[in-house]
Amino acid sequence: MASFFSTVKRIYLAIYNWAVFTGWIQVLIFAIKALNESGPAAVYDAVEKPLQLAQTAAILEIIHGLIGLVRSPVSATLPQIGSRLFVTWGILHSFPETRTHILVSSLVISWSLTEIIRYSFFGMKEALGFTPSWLLWLRYSTFLLLYPTGITSEVGLIYIALPFIKASDNFCFRMPNKWNFSFDYYFASLAVLGIYVPGSPHMYTYMLGQRKKALSKLKAA
Amino acid sequence: MILKKTKKYYPSRQRLTLPTKPGVSGKPVVLSPKSKISDYCEKGTSDNLTVVFKDLGPQVLYSTLFFFEYLGPLVLYPLFYYLPLYKYFGYDDTNRTIHPVQTYAMYYWCLHYSKRILETFFVHRFSHATSPLSNVFRNCLYYWTFGAYIAYYVNHPLYTPVSETQWKIGFAFGLLCQVSNLYCHIILRNLRSPSGNGGYQIPKGFLFNIVTCANYTTEIYQWLGFNIATQTVAGYVFLVVATAIMTNWAMGKHRRLRKLFDGKEGRPKYPRRWVILPPFF
Repeated sequence: MASFFSTVKRIYLAIYNWAVFTGWIQVLIFAIKALNESGPAAVYDAVEKPLQLAQTAAILEIIHGLIGLVRSPVSATLPQIGSRLFVTWGILHSFPETRTHILVSSLVISWSLTEIIRYSFFGMKEALGFTPSWLLWLRYSTFLLLYPTGITSEVGLIYIALPFIKASDNFCFRMPNKWNFSFDYYFASLAVLGIYVPGSPHMYTYMLGQRKKALSKLKAA
Repeated sequence: MILKKTKKYYPSRQRLTLPTKPGVSGKPVVLSPKSKISDYCEKGTSDNLTVVFKDLGPQVLYSTLFFFEYLGPLVLYPLFYYLPLYKYFGYDDTNRTIHPVQTYAMYYWCLHYSKRILETFFVHRFSHATSPLSNVFRNCLYYWTFGAYIAYYVNHPLYTPVSETQWKIGFAFGLLCQVSNLYCHIILRNLRSPSGNGGYQIPKGFLFNIVTCANYTTEIYQWLGFNIATQTVAGYVFLVVATAIMTNWAMGKHRRLRKLFDGKEGRPKYPRRWVILPPFF
């Protein structure tokens, strides 16, 4: 019985990873095409649909971690996915004024490169039971460049959106009310920016630790 | 003795354990400062003993940790009450009316945190003398942020008070729980002898006869009283988080006591009791 479940689990995870992989391939291809043909301002419109689909699908990964389907700690996946969803839906989708900025291009390329490598890495593991060492190396090395470029793009886009957020009343809930509650999207966005300050080094050092572990295993093998 | 060799690792920073035997799982045995080294040597073997040293990092006294945690809320809350801070958030502060419940809330809050500070210095007996320095930052972040978050809403110029009956009941219930909580702390203190024996005893008396962690119970209900009186989402969020944290601690304590007092070898058996929150566990 146990091995039946583990086979089902493997098939499910293989399908999941390869499906999202194709989403991100689309994002990268459309982005490069748009850059070539029209320039950075057109990138968002070209990638919007596959980007939203692929990025939102990542919510499943939190569930996978919570129910123990995968080993990744929720403490590492939650901030990563949280920031991605915030930028995808809370900034780019909700404040169209940000869509033509050049940081959208760097964002989309950083994200798609990282995710293409990551999903193919897990996809191979689940489907074939192993990953080629060059893919392992890519998975644990490209973040060295792509994390800084991705994080800079995320922070930059949130920062650019701030005046538009302040001016609009979107997502805001005001006092007075019976429950003495309020939500101000502008302050919330500032708080998110604040979280990047300790959050980014935490994520980066976590990946550095993972890299050490993974590459030393490679050497030993 | 280790102190002689390395000045940096003062005793409260050291943790000495017996090396874990390969293949044996579970927590390593910690050497107690009260026992002698010879107590840990296996009978009949030589006088040499291998010990594993772990540096616990810079330590502060528990009383220091608690003092700074509680000082933040004690000072920050009245700032929101007395100073015209809301203009910096974009609200017109000049003609605000202060509702009586807001004044009483401020007194209640300050009473609560003053009580906590006084208990830290005059009531509590700590089983471990120290705590890692990093806990100061983490705990202060928790208490100070929530303190400011709640203070912001209760003292807000657009605050909507509940009915007089409701806040009177809320505060009265809260005060009752605070007094009970103090009594619980005194009972717990008397369980430990002044020489710092630090051993575990079965708590007895007052609410402890029915709840293992009656001190946490009274603390949680005390906050409930405050929230019934002040009715803010911020306050209720704090209540939920604090309850979750205390419940976690209570389950650990209950488990430890049940394991220790298992009724074997002449030890008393730990009675059936609610863990922390009747009627829930």
